[in-house]
Amino acid sequence: METRIPKNSAILSALLQADFTTLWRNRRSFNMVLLVPLIILVSWKGLVPKLGGVFVLSSCITIGLTSIGLMGYSNAVARDRDRGIFQRLRVGPLEGWTIMSSRLIVQVAMIILMTLLVFIVGYFVDHISLTPAGYLVGLVMAVLGSAVYLGLGQAIVGLIKNPETVNTTTRLVYFAFIMIGMFGEFGVLGKEIGQIATWSPYGTVRKVLAAGLDPASWQLATTYAFLASVGYAILFVVIGVKYFKWENK
Amino acid sequence: MSNLPTRREPILEVDHLNVRYGNFTAVRSISFEVFGGEIFGLLGPNGAGKTSSLSAIEGLLKPSAGAISVCGFDIASKPLHARANMGVQLQATSFQQELTITEIIRLYSRIYDVNLTDAEIHERLAAINLTDSINKKIAQLSGGQQQRVSLLISTIHDPQLMLLDEPTTGLDPQSRRYLWDRIEQFRDKGHAVLITTHSMEEAEAICDRIAIIDHGSIIAIDSPAALIENNLTNPAVLEVVRKGKVTLEDVFIGLTGTAIRS
Repeated sequence: METRIPKNSAILSALLQADFTTLWRNRRSFNMVLLVPLIILVSWKGLVPKLGGVFVLSSCITIGLTSIGLMGYSNAVARDRDRGIFQRLRVGPLEGWTIMSSRLIVQVAMIILMTLLVFIVGYFVDHISLTPAGYLVGLVMAVLGSAVYLGLGQAIVGLIKNPETVNTTTRLVYFAFIMIGMFGEFGVLGKEIGQIATWSPYGTVRKVLAAGLDPASWQLATTYAFLASVGYAILFVVIGVKYFKWENK
Repeated sequence: MSNLPTRREPILEVDHLNVRYGNFTAVRSISFEVFGGEIFGLLGPNGAGKTSSLSAIEGLLKPSAGAISVCGFDIASKPLHARANMGVQLQATSFQQELTITEIIRLYSRIYDVNLTDAEIHERLAAINLTDSINKKIAQLSGGQQQRVSLLISTIHDPQLMLLDEPTTGLDPQSRRYLWDRIEQFRDKGHAVLITTHSMEEAEAICDRIAIIDHGSIIAIDSPAALIENNLTNPAVLEVVRKGKVTLEDVFIGLTGTAIRS
């Protein structure tokens, strides 16, 4: 009897269809993830003249990236691992990387959607307009910045197996990132905390995003922030891949 | 027992398989073959090494030593080819709860490179009496219905080898009998079946051969009738006989001991 091995592209296409359908059926939770940066964007309308449109947009996109990477990706992976869905897929004739690639592509699609929504709401509600290059580079930087947070989400599901503990941990890390990152950058938590926030994954990604939204403002410090972001992404991905287990036993 | 002549072609070959977790050896140099047209049962107490052996055969864990081949494909060097020739039913029906049965069937048919039209999916669901559940999600089905869907998906590509991990746990007698019939039909078509179970009744009812595994080693391997026959005078077995007549369960407990395993 002939042994049929499907092409990776065919498997990826089947997995993507299933993962997008799953995401759509869970749209209540992904709506919540999308709503957080938009609510902050609308509520900061009065701060735009003081902080600048680029700072407001980059902060909101960074918060959105944090929500998707931590709350969306890691919780979905932890839940499906606990249900044995990965094990069921892995006994089929497919490579493990196709399963994770499909998950990541779905999250990157969400990040693109979130970034576009922030641009649209920013334009119509907060009256923030950028150059075409700013929108384009900003979008690219958002996708690149997502590597840090998807990597962090991967590291959390790599180090923690229990889905409830993953959920609690991601909420805690999310809260810490938002509070320390956002308020630290405002300078309300003191100089030292401000420095930590600037060079934290939150601060470096926000800085790179801000420079992406206004490409003319790219400086040496932005390059350092970019390199730091790459370093964070590599560190998180290495931890996430090294310690990740497909089953929860 | 099948009335059809058994095809003596090993579909699954396990050769001196060892599985270790750190310093703990879960499976110690076990070897066996499963032939076409045969239902082979792997029995053992909890922690005996059944699941580790099965996981190694499924390619989910890497053996520390030994070789496994499915239809001549080595699981280590040709994992995709080996897995393409096996159908697996895990203990839990591990499917995406957000998808409908039709969507799950479509997903797995594409993973196994089987083109199914809507009419063919409908036909297959009709064969397992689930046409009225076509748009239901897996969580909306009863345990028996879920197992039927799981078996359908496991055999969607007509695999040469079927691996069933405690498939009838928690099922009512009707669902269990239905599943047995389907497994026997599969065997009667010349395919090989490897089943793990804690039910001696099930092993006796459907298995052509049985391997009893304990502490990671195979301690007996034969047909259920021969296992009973060969242990009729075994003092360890006679000591645990409950109803005056030696059963497969008596042989199992006699050989593996009465101590409760974790």
